[in-house]
Amino acid sequence: MTKKLSVSILPLIVFILLLGFLLKGLFSDPRERDSALINKPMPEFSLPDLMDESIKHTAQSLTQSPVLINVWGTWCTTCKYELPFLTKLSEEYGVKIVGIYYDQNHAPEFGQYADIPAIRVEVKEMLQRLGNPYQYNILDLDRTLSLNLGVTGAPETFLIDADGTIRVHHMGDVNERVWRDKLAPVWNEMN
Amino acid sequence: MIPELGNFALFIAFGFSLLLAVFPFIGLRQNDVRLMQLAPNLTIGLFVFTLIAFLSLVYAFLTDDFTVLNVAQNSNSALPTQYKFAASFGSHEGSFLLWLLMQSGWAFAVAIWSKTLPADMRTRILMVIGWICVGFYAYIITVSNPFERTLPYFPVDGRDLNPLLQDIGMIIHPPLLYMGYVGLSITFSFAIAALLNGNLDSTWAKWSRPWTAAAWGFLTLGITIGSWWAYAELGWGGWWFWDPVENASFMPWLVATALLHSLSVSEKRNAFKSWTVFLAIATFSLSLLGTFLVRSGVIVSVHAFATDPARGVFILILLALVTGGSLLLYGLRASSIKSVGRFSMFSREGMLWGNNILLVAATIIVLMGTLLPLVHKEIGLGTISIGEPFFNQMFSFLIVPFALILGIAPLIRWKQDKLNKFVKMPAFIIVVCMILAFVWLKAEFADVKVLAFSGTALFIWIVLYTTIELQQTLKKVSFNKLPLSHFAMVFGHIGLAFIIAGVGLTSQYSTQRDVKMFEGDSAVLEDYQFAFNKIRRLDGPNYEGWAADMSIYKDAELEANLLAEKRFYPVQRNTMTEAAISDGFFRDLYVSLGEKLPDGAWAMRIYVKPYVRWIWLGGIIVSLSGALILFDRRYRRSSSVA
Repeated sequence: MTKKLSVSILPLIVFILLLGFLLKGLFSDPRERDSALINKPMPEFSLPDLMDESIKHTAQSLTQSPVLINVWGTWCTTCKYELPFLTKLSEEYGVKIVGIYYDQNHAPEFGQYADIPAIRVEVKEMLQRLGNPYQYNILDLDRTLSLNLGVTGAPETFLIDADGTIRVHHMGDVNERVWRDKLAPVWNEMN
Repeated sequence: MIPELGNFALFIAFGFSLLLAVFPFIGLRQNDVRLMQLAPNLTIGLFVFTLIAFLSLVYAFLTDDFTVLNVAQNSNSALPTQYKFAASFGSHEGSFLLWLLMQSGWAFAVAIWSKTLPADMRTRILMVIGWICVGFYAYIITVSNPFERTLPYFPVDGRDLNPLLQDIGMIIHPPLLYMGYVGLSITFSFAIAALLNGNLDSTWAKWSRPWTAAAWGFLTLGITIGSWWAYAELGWGGWWFWDPVENASFMPWLVATALLHSLSVSEKRNAFKSWTVFLAIATFSLSLLGTFLVRSGVIVSVHAFATDPARGVFILILLALVTGGSLLLYGLRASSIKSVGRFSMFSREGMLWGNNILLVAATIIVLMGTLLPLVHKEIGLGTISIGEPFFNQMFSFLIVPFALILGIAPLIRWKQDKLNKFVKMPAFIIVVCMILAFVWLKAEFADVKVLAFSGTALFIWIVLYTTIELQQTLKKVSFNKLPLSHFAMVFGHIGLAFIIAGVGLTSQYSTQRDVKMFEGDSAVLEDYQFAFNKIRRLDGPNYEGWAADMSIYKDAELEANLLAEKRFYPVQRNTMTEAAISDGFFRDLYVSLGEKLPDGAWAMRIYVKPYVRWIWLGGIIVSLSGALILFDRRYRRSSSVA
């Protein structure tokens, strides 16, 4: 009888062991793509300015003071709704905002190339109409920087501290609520 | 407004599940018939309100209500309507709502078709379902609410449904799999109810067998369609990748198959009793484990679903409660269950015991292959990955004894049979099979490969034996009197034979070539000439891209015209290869369009895949056998007479 009980209880013991591993696995490291970036230095890059190709921006040019990096494009509908708020942040709170611009129609593998002059006209028009929060915009035509940052769509926003370390990554638009709950606490701590 | 209605309905449904978990329990304790009789009505309420919640979510998707977070993240206004519908269960939150809809739907079916079960048993079954529901409804309400709003700051347009999921296979594949997973919870509830009652006689097996068969049939069909989808949509020409997510659905299938066979022994011979209950617990537990693996992100997979630790912890707790609780109950009760039926090894029982051992061994192999990388990492040995070769090799070994037993078993008598049946006739038939297989492969492919040879030989073995068995049975029983469940057995076995042959042949004789072609070029593979006529621009509703217009000739005669596409989805910035496939009973021709090269030529991959359709054909035949058991008069009558 006792022998039989020990046999029939065996599955439970095996299961409990398994459960321990599953629980541990749940909290073990490379779980979340997102957190992999946090507290890592800004990836190295050297990319032209959106408005003037002769100007090159690098990771070092971002490291004098805390900065909010915003990935966007004129084709991105949500970005349009984010611009006025970002402008308010930059004008009223003095947040330094740098844009990473990418063009979704640029797809060399399909023989489609971005029309840079047309983009510049569009960008100027849009920023005039909705507000211009950007100190400057980095043109990430081949999306290498976006890829290194783990960007999956626009808009996305990163908070970088003065040492060039990524502190916050936010997917989706930045609005009053996101700023208040997610970005402002870190921003205030950095300044 | 509608999403609020849905949310409200979801909360009411949760309330119903709580009542269903508690009232019948009190009723059983106090032997209060009125409380016990509440169970079916509560189940109906549970289903109706879950249905309202689900329809509300579908409505939000169809009307592009981006104030709902789930819609904004998984759909956009350019998405074709049928995919908006599919997107409503394409996300994590939506898929769990679908799970609940099915859970309550199965419970509803039990409430309707179990009127003739003894009242206490029926109440107990619905109560166990209620317990499971409380866990799942609590999960969706607390950490996975599909109706969460983006208000007051809602986006004007949504992100997009993953283009991989924009396919007809994806509209039907997850619901079928879920029907299977969730359906197994019904068998589980029957088993737990029987354990609670302490009465594990053959009636338990008889009642639960049609439910198990139905769930198993859905699971089979779901896996088959998933495999076909991977083949048609992923553009790699493969049909099974031993990916953790695939394994997650395969493990419950293997155990459910063992369970179906074991149930028949419990039902007819009153043997294997506690083993059958154990399998019933294991089947649903593996469904839950699969859900945990897929949805928690513990294991890295190509399916890469969004993950959230809070959700992972919640599902793990659910798993711990359901499986841990039932295994504890099993441990305490099973030791006092006695199986009465005695049998010799050379009997039908012995054969089915072999079937169960092999299926469980297969499950353990898949489980180990899936979890070992995790365990390995957690005990600090670094990361390893267990790939296809491991699984393929193990299954090549297991399938041989499995198919051999499967061929003979239906001819063997219960309890004890003559040893001769295991020696003379099989030896003769196996020689016939080997000769036929050899001739077949020599004639069709010239070259005889070992794995293809064993696959075809086993195919012939099963077909021959099944035919002999059917013919002998029909001598004793007339065709019209033969129970449908007997045909279910025939279908199941023949279907498996097709799968074995298909896997053996396509894995050994598929050929592929990477070619670089200009418009007007052609390439030769096997007996086929692939001509690249021209390239066209594509302009779809939410994508753009290129399509290669191909013609394939055999002996200068046109075999097929194909259009292989490469799509680019701007919103998601995703590139998708839509492979073009000419399907045939004996072979598939497969073209997948690659990159445009700098000199204007196109990279392409062409395949000839013999007998690959047999795999899915077999899968469909196997799942039909589930339906046949369901319509067997014995089970239909048993539930209306017993």
